[in-house]
Amino acid sequence: MSDATRNDPQPNALVPRIRDYVAGRLGARDVTLEHVERIAVGWSHETWLFDAVWRDGAAQRRLGLCLRRDPGNALLRHLSTLETQFKVLECLEHTALPTPKPYWYESDAAILDAPFLVMEKVAGTCPSPWGRDGRAFYAAAAKRGVLPNSFTATLATLHTLDWRAAGLGFLGIPAPGKSFAQREIAKWRELIAVSEHPPEPILTDLIGWLEANAPSTDRVCLVHGAYRTGNLLIHDDRVSAVLDWELQALGDPLYDVAYVLSDLNREATPLLSNLVDRDDFFRDYESATGIAIDESVCRYYNALYAMRSVAFWMSASGLYASGKSNDVRLARTAYSVPDVLDRAAKELGY
Amino acid sequence: MAGASMGGAATRRALVVNAGELLQRIAHTLRHDIGPAVDAEYPKTQAFMAAVVLQKLGRELALADAHRTADATELRALAADLVAVCTMSAPAGAATQRGAAAASTVPANAATAIDRFAATLDQKSLCDVIESLYAARAELDAAPVDALLGRIRRTLRAQIDRRLEFAK
Repeated sequence: MSDATRNDPQPNALVPRIRDYVAGRLGARDVTLEHVERIAVGWSHETWLFDAVWRDGAAQRRLGLCLRRDPGNALLRHLSTLETQFKVLECLEHTALPTPKPYWYESDAAILDAPFLVMEKVAGTCPSPWGRDGRAFYAAAAKRGVLPNSFTATLATLHTLDWRAAGLGFLGIPAPGKSFAQREIAKWRELIAVSEHPPEPILTDLIGWLEANAPSTDRVCLVHGAYRTGNLLIHDDRVSAVLDWELQALGDPLYDVAYVLSDLNREATPLLSNLVDRDDFFRDYESATGIAIDESVCRYYNALYAMRSVAFWMSASGLYASGKSNDVRLARTAYSVPDVLDRAAKELGY
Repeated sequence: MAGASMGGAATRRALVVNAGELLQRIAHTLRHDIGPAVDAEYPKTQAFMAAVVLQKLGRELALADAHRTADATELRALAADLVAVCTMSAPAGAATQRGAAAASTVPANAATAIDRFAATLDQKSLCDVIESLYAARAELDAAPVDALLGRIRRTLRAQIDRRLEFAK
């Protein structure tokens, strides 16, 4: 089977095999899957939601599950494995950060044709901040004021958790100084290199500037890497789970703060992430973490995000151009490259 | 030959549509006829996204000649300006930019890269010039390096503005 055909035109054929796997794991023979849904969002891993239902003596048992499968050709695949995601979720399970409980990880491609993990289906919704409905959802939540507080408090929980005690040291501990920024630059350089995109002088300029101006820090926290609405599950006006553990690292918490402050993550509103008042965010975050927000450092990380965006879109369009994916959304991203290069040039003042 | 009449010639003329226009029309069909007729979410999204890609590609093709000409003109002017900076303080008789750079404020590695860029006018060589300037900036006085980078950025700004004409 070619990589391109892994874009699974008959996804329902997988459902009986998922059921058999779950039945084996649960040690139950009469398992059925209900409310099966393949979520059509995200460009990285395939995501399936379902309820496993079985009988346990006279009682009916039900367990909500979420399965993520590696399609073998996904964006960021070589930077983020499902095995690492599973380990991160295991480490976070007993912390105060709301995350899905991890159940099983399988590297054996014989089971579902590709590695996959299974975790808890957490109650909540995850409205996209880019659509009209999502914007309306977050605008209404902003007025009520509960979710914005939860958004900031959850980020503070993330940045104050004891990552050493949680066992997250395997993510790689940056040395004090410029090591964190340098490692991020190296990571995105690698993705750019494998994309085989033609040379882009603006990108070379941006990377040169980033390397010359990397901020120094000795603060090390667990950093999510994409903390924004759309990557958070919401239930009862509160963050019920932090999702998308693909870009996490140990490093400067202002990397996440810069993402929250970024124009990238809001649309037609001054509210951060379409949700949080900027002054409230500064006050509540600083008060909860004891970390002062240095806006000049955040501006640096914003430029680093421009590099990351270029790397994303070069990688994505490269997957389509090389025939590894048939998803036309990836072809579209070739035209996002000039857009983010424009942003990079503006970050550099031209 | 059948059709080799005035009417046939007129038909042939009518079918000769430039590639950019053809792609725009296919994009229109995908967006207005094919996409709305597809029920399933994934292929429907693919149809609409294909329309977006073809529309942008059509614009890119339509602008390609003008953009190629403008790029070439500006890259030649950029190369001339960079070479001029290298040779500005060179001793009489310096045969190359590298030789000139020995006596100028431009570091030798950057002058070598500028030599190569002036010869090729390609994007890879321009990237090499930028990299050499950043490397020199770490070691030498930043002001002349920044001046050269500033000149390069003028060209890069114009290039990216042109690409945004079809990418946006």
